Amino acid sequence: MFKLNFKIALRNLWKNKGFTLINAGGLAIGLASCMILLLYVAYEWEYDKQFTDYDNTYIIYKNDPVSDQVYTNAWTPGVMAAEIREKISGVKYASRSTYPSNMLITYKNDSYKKQAVHTEPSFLKILDYKFLKGDPNTALQSINSVVLTESLAKTLFGDSDPIGKELKLDNKEPLRVEGVISDVPENSSIQFDYLMSWTLFEKTNPWVKNTDWGSNFCLTMLQLKSNKYFDQANSQMKELVGRNDSDTGVEAFMHPLSKWHLYNDFENGKLVGGSIDQLKIFALLAGCILLIACINFMNLSTARSEKRAREVGVRKAIGSSRSSLIGQFMLESVLLSLMGMIVAFMLMEISLPYFNNLLNLELVLAYRDWKFWGMLVALTLFAGLIAGSYPAFYLSSFEPVKVLKGFSARGGSSLPVRKILVVFQFVFAACLIVCTSVIYQQLDFIKRKPIGYDKGNLIQLTAHGTLKDQKKLPLLKTLLIKSGAASHVSNFSTDISSGGNNTTGIAWPGKNPKNDILFNTRGTGYDFVKTIGTEMVSGRAFSARFKDSTNVIVNEAAVKAMGLKDPIGTVLEWGDDRHTIIGVMKDFVVESAYRDVAPMLFYPDYLDDISVILVRINPSQNITSSVAKIDEIVKQFNPAYPIERTFVNDAFETKFDDEKLLGTLANWFGGFAVFISCLGLLGLALYMAEQRKKEISIRKVLGASTYNILTLLNKDFIKLVAIANLIAFPLAYIIINKWLSGYEFRIQISILPFAIAIALSLIIAILTVSVQSVKVAKANPVDALKYE
Amino acid sequence: MIELKDIEKYYASKGVKSYILRHVSTTIKQGEFVSIMGPSGAGKSTLLNILGMLEEPTYGSYSFMGEDVTTLNERKRIELYRNHIGFVFQAYHLIDEMTVEENIEAPLLYKKVPGAERRSRVADILDRFNMVAKKDLFPNQLSGGQQQLVGIARALVAQPSIILADEPTGNLQSAQALQIMELFKKLNEEEGITIIQVTHSEVNAAYGSRILHLLDGVIKEDVNL
Repeated sequence: MFKLNFKIALRNLWKNKGFTLINAGGLAIGLASCMILLLYVAYEWEYDKQFTDYDNTYIIYKNDPVSDQVYTNAWTPGVMAAEIREKISGVKYASRSTYPSNMLITYKNDSYKKQAVHTEPSFLKILDYKFLKGDPNTALQSINSVVLTESLAKTLFGDSDPIGKELKLDNKEPLRVEGVISDVPENSSIQFDYLMSWTLFEKTNPWVKNTDWGSNFCLTMLQLKSNKYFDQANSQMKELVGRNDSDTGVEAFMHPLSKWHLYNDFENGKLVGGSIDQLKIFALLAGCILLIACINFMNLSTARSEKRAREVGVRKAIGSSRSSLIGQFMLESVLLSLMGMIVAFMLMEISLPYFNNLLNLELVLAYRDWKFWGMLVALTLFAGLIAGSYPAFYLSSFEPVKVLKGFSARGGSSLPVRKILVVFQFVFAACLIVCTSVIYQQLDFIKRKPIGYDKGNLIQLTAHGTLKDQKKLPLLKTLLIKSGAASHVSNFSTDISSGGNNTTGIAWPGKNPKNDILFNTRGTGYDFVKTIGTEMVSGRAFSARFKDSTNVIVNEAAVKAMGLKDPIGTVLEWGDDRHTIIGVMKDFVVESAYRDVAPMLFYPDYLDDISVILVRINPSQNITSSVAKIDEIVKQFNPAYPIERTFVNDAFETKFDDEKLLGTLANWFGGFAVFISCLGLLGLALYMAEQRKKEISIRKVLGASTYNILTLLNKDFIKLVAIANLIAFPLAYIIINKWLSGYEFRIQISILPFAIAIALSLIIAILTVSVQSVKVAKANPVDALKYE
Repeated sequence: MIELKDIEKYYASKGVKSYILRHVSTTIKQGEFVSIMGPSGAGKSTLLNILGMLEEPTYGSYSFMGEDVTTLNERKRIELYRNHIGFVFQAYHLIDEMTVEENIEAPLLYKKVPGAERRSRVADILDRFNMVAKKDLFPNQLSGGQQQLVGIARALVAQPSIILADEPTGNLQSAQALQIMELFKKLNEEEGITIIQVTHSEVNAAYGSRILHLLDGVIKEDVNL
């Protein structure tokens, strides 16, 4: 029975090649889209879950109350881990580590800047990285111990055995390789190339030893013996900081490692979500696309029902039960979805590299993972059964006598269902079109928003080695400007496109003692204003002609926040020191382009380290040759270190990564959704044309022109798409409004996206339907009538 | 074997009842060869469909081999139907996607006849109908007469006790029609299969043993030949 059914199903599919192609193709695109999205969702979902005991591992976060706000972050004091081991119950391991930072590692004459983390041996117990060489129990215990990742070991030593080899950190500290671990998984929050001991960190940074509870520079992690201790441990954690450092009001808490990546947005000390929100959107998108593809499948299958009706009648007349007919149609549907899945596979393999490139990810099809296959089989069966259910139950319900006598008036009852399905598809498609255009508008708006300085043709060099030396810096500056490659050169204490140090410890005349303001603090070199291309609103910039060691500059936002009427000359108290404001700089964006610029205070660089050198490329020169020249000069100047150079423009672009990702995905998958919906429409058009063949022929005999017929046929579809748009608009408005409300700077939702949606969907729909209706309208009426 | 009592069938549309069959009562015994005749719209096909359990009467009782069909549930009815009734249509109604052999095999599959027996019965029938050479052809590769032979073979393979034929020769040329009627007569006489056919043709009716004349849903005449 099954064999025969199977054979017949294949013959049926083969006989209707066009239909099979449209149907399997639509399903394939739907399945592939769904799978790729799910792959991405799974990738994000699996973040930090590679470790054996990730389930009872926690990251220590703390809530810092500042004026009436609470700031939540995972920067913790260095003394915390030891205290946790002693005072918190149920703790198996606790570790402190630095956050990964780029450090120079040297083997013989080869130097590389790689991500380094200083930590304790217990770190390796909590996060059980796979040791390829060496012993995880003894690694990181001695001061010079270093553990490399596989790829760094390969870069440094090629194929020779790394264990015991001597390396150098920053050309000073000797290191000894004690272990090699396999590379840190891409979807792991802590990304590093090598691990070093905490004692070495204390040696190279002597201040670390003397830090207390007020100084936050560590990542603290703990692992519980079992999760039943969680409540107790977490409540003990709450009081931990207060007991040691009573007047700050800081409360520490435990945040699960598994939620670190996705649930990372805290507002006033409460978890409010994070990337999980975006992930949910993608999961929803995946489901909807699959649903659309299934609906399509149903539509196309039932559209052919007239042709199959007679077969159903005959089968029933020779004794088939309804269930065996349902079985037959289900089998066909599953078979088709299987074909769709195979095509989907090919589509995925072809498109994955492109998507990886687009999303900056390393998604792969995990052929060896049973979960992957399980998912695949589940999706195929789901799609096949869902898609096959309506045709199966609908077709098998035909009464044999009626269909054998001639199947006619049945269309009336089935059409509304099909119309509703098409409307549903187009609601989804129109929603996506609206949302995508608003996302792009918003992105464009933010990108065009003036950021306060000229980020084009501005280079940022990481200051390391000799570049850090303040005494030698003027020489470099002169060299660069003399070469003609640069017009201005300055330096800054933090990467100009990212956040950095801040403080609430600033007082000004007339300050309300309860009203703390968080100031970003940055050290700048001379010519900073000219180099980045901003301007002074009043006063002057730092200059070599003056003695500026106790002077500061503030930005406009700071003046506003402090409420100063005449800021120049005002004396600020910062800790124990007093600083005079000599100038007000125009606001510029360093952190989020979506928020108002925060108050900022600039001080002359010699109070602090230099971390970047900013170079304004000479606009009258060719950029490529200028950059090459700059590289050459910097290399000569600082031969021991590799050149680390970024264009500020590029660095700034990364701020929009999330939105770009959303936009790109919405665009692509919106496109797919529209395409699949069109296939569904085509199916409906095929059906309608079939049904109305006779009517159209009679109309033509009575004298209707091709144009008359086309309007007649297209009118119905236009109505459907218009209805779909009307339903979609309020829906899309609500969704996109919610999304936009997350941004401080946002566009007003205009009529444009809606106009785009309705125009686009109508044009596409008319084109799709016309493919079929033109054929019918042009057909010779005699052909249709002579069989009557 | 068949007993119809006061069978009525009407369709109500907009409150107006249009009767197809009125007060039809008759008995058909095992081994009879009955022809139902009458003008178009007399209710012949409806009567046949009711006999074949494809339609239900509005009123009246129908007992088939002692079982009251009108009160049976669908599963039982299909069971009864599978085991005893074979249908032959005017338009043959073969399944286009199946070969001759598969078309003939289909009823046996629904009856859940084991594989070996199925094959032997299909082979047997193909042999009897001289269609062994054509068993792998599809219906559209056969002439009308050949298709109808396949249709009859399909009805016979399940070894029914009764064959219901709705104008079996209506689409055929006279030579082919003759061949089909000869076959029916042979089946009736040699194997004792009850045959009920609907026909317009006096010639075809003459092959049978009894004629029911239907007019406007009422049996006007019941003639034994």
